[in-house]
Amino acid sequence: MKKVLDVLKKREALLGLIIILFSLFVTIRVPLFLSYENLSNVLKSCSVTGIFALGVLVVIISGGFDVSFTAIAQVSEYLGIWLLMHTFIGKIGNLFVAFVLVVLIGGVLGLLNGYLIDHFKLPAIIITISTQNLFYGIMYVVCHGRLIYTIPDYIWPLSDKKIFQAMSANGATYGISMVTVLWMAMAIILAIMLKKTIVGRSVYWIGGNPLAAERVGINMKKMTLFVYGLTGVIAGIGALAHIAVVQTVIPNSIVGTEMSVIAAVVLGGASITGGKGSVLGSILGVLLFAIVNNSLTLLQISSYWYNVFTGAIIILSIVLNAVQESQQRKRIIRVKVADTLEGVAV
Amino acid sequence: MKNNNNVWAKIRKNENFSLYVTLVVVYLLMGLLNGPRFFSFRNLTAMMYQMPMIGLLAIGMLIAELTGGINLSIVSLANFNGVMVYELLMIFSKGDVGGAHGGEIFLALAISCIICMAVGFLNGALTSMLRIPALLVTLGTMTLLQGLSLILTKGYTLSGFPDGLTFFGTGTVLGIPMSLILFAVIVFATHIVLDRTVFGKQLYMTGANPVAARYSNVNTVRVVILEYILSALFSFCASVVMIGQMNSVKANYYESYVLIAVLASFLGGVSPNGGFGRISGTVIAAIILQIINTGLNLLRLDPFMVTAMWGAIIILVSFGREFTTKIKVSMAKKKLEQATKGVKNA
Repeated sequence: MKKVLDVLKKREALLGLIIILFSLFVTIRVPLFLSYENLSNVLKSCSVTGIFALGVLVVIISGGFDVSFTAIAQVSEYLGIWLLMHTFIGKIGNLFVAFVLVVLIGGVLGLLNGYLIDHFKLPAIIITISTQNLFYGIMYVVCHGRLIYTIPDYIWPLSDKKIFQAMSANGATYGISMVTVLWMAMAIILAIMLKKTIVGRSVYWIGGNPLAAERVGINMKKMTLFVYGLTGVIAGIGALAHIAVVQTVIPNSIVGTEMSVIAAVVLGGASITGGKGSVLGSILGVLLFAIVNNSLTLLQISSYWYNVFTGAIIILSIVLNAVQESQQRKRIIRVKVADTLEGVAV
Repeated sequence: MKNNNNVWAKIRKNENFSLYVTLVVVYLLMGLLNGPRFFSFRNLTAMMYQMPMIGLLAIGMLIAELTGGINLSIVSLANFNGVMVYELLMIFSKGDVGGAHGGEIFLALAISCIICMAVGFLNGALTSMLRIPALLVTLGTMTLLQGLSLILTKGYTLSGFPDGLTFFGTGTVLGIPMSLILFAVIVFATHIVLDRTVFGKQLYMTGANPVAARYSNVNTVRVVILEYILSALFSFCASVVMIGQMNSVKANYYESYVLIAVLASFLGGVSPNGGFGRISGTVIAAIILQIINTGLNLLRLDPFMVTAMWGAIIILVSFGREFTTKIKVSMAKKKLEQATKGVKNA
């Protein structure tokens, strides 16, 4: 029994349990929920959020904060497609070129964030709020809010192509979309990077104790640039996935969703003060939000309630985080006291 | 002659000197761009009507930032409070909101004020007792409150408030806008609370060094809770002014003002890490932002261009501050060199 409780103390296990219980509850009310068709749709709909969440996860682990990633995604989406449609790049255009483009645009904007944050030593939230407005505002002025309806054909397969395909009663195919595969592939690469490489471990170190990390010899400037650059790159890739899913470029479709992404990451156990968080947690956090959203629709509850549920989940999860952390703190103190008492006895 | 120098030195030593200079420069610049109509009496009164809104939200933000926190829920709480006032008036006056009597208005305001304070208490308690970063707590309450307002209003705009209430937004006393008088009274009261009471001193101490404050027998938990209640009261006041000016409530009025409030408190010299920040600076900063806002509106600039400007201003101000600090440091070095030369020569 104690072992079971210990496992449940891990955020990932707890989230998994909540997801299973919640799914059970919804399935009893609406059996349609557990069908392969619905679940694959849920996965496809939350893949873009999931990719963004990976970027946010890196920043939050490093002890930083980024609300500008939506604006970065918006800019790389619009600029990337515009370059592909209207310039010479379009002639050699294929999915790989599109990928490189969004990665480059996202990376440059992310590096700019990193430079400003490192240079001014200001809280990341203030810098990223301002760069968000700067990027988004300039983009909107330049494009006059025009939509791009036709996107290159070679981007379509990213969402149309499916693995484990099945046919529904009315003839439509469904299955795990390539966007979801992209999300999972990126998650695995990121997880390996965070766990196994020196750069990845450094991200945890600068988040857990920046002073100690600097003393050990980690170049804080390079790490800040790396972390925000990587978030920009991931936001760019997320933008590509977003184009594939929506199949239209709408200049105000991503900005405004940043808080729900951050909330999912925090729900996944990442500590906003840095040094803690896992890829699996962020995936489960995104999934829980997607499932709640999906079941509200299936249970025919008004969409007005969605924000209330989101807010309540955020508050509950942060309270959970805080209680867990304070328990850990108490345990550490208890161990310390025990050690000193032992020392006295000897 | 010497006396003149003294006055000049005194002015230059004023902590808000650079802000006053910015104020004059911005005012003249906007006048230059807009022509004489910017200096007209009508435009001046229009700005006087609008300024309290930015000012109230900025001071609410400043108070939260004094202990290194932030209050993202400030605008959504104001909107929620407006919706509550409308619903309460609906109940008290049995459907005839526009014809509600003084007593009913007072009762509705009192109850909604208590609700505001309860939200502030929740923010403060979660921040201080559970040591959750204010960013997350207020993000959660922001989403929650937005959702609740959406549910109550069903996304509609509710309009038609009694004259007794709209007086706070559009009424005048001896030709001076009532909202400005209200703002002046509140600023004065807050100045007294922050600079002349024990609570104010404790608040600054808690922000500058929470550990030292705790050892000096300051109940930091109580201080932070009171701080967020105070911050929520500013949402309440902003809400009253907002009801008066719009004669209506909606779930998402003034959403962009969260950024402007952060911007104003930042311009006003508040340290995002806590412990520093004066009311006077924030008020001047709010006036500067109002002048920019009105000026850009009169120029019929693209609203998204204005959004980009808000972002650019923070970065420009940061560069400006860095530049002035460099000059100050180099001047101090020169003085030191001269002094040491003098000593050597002697």
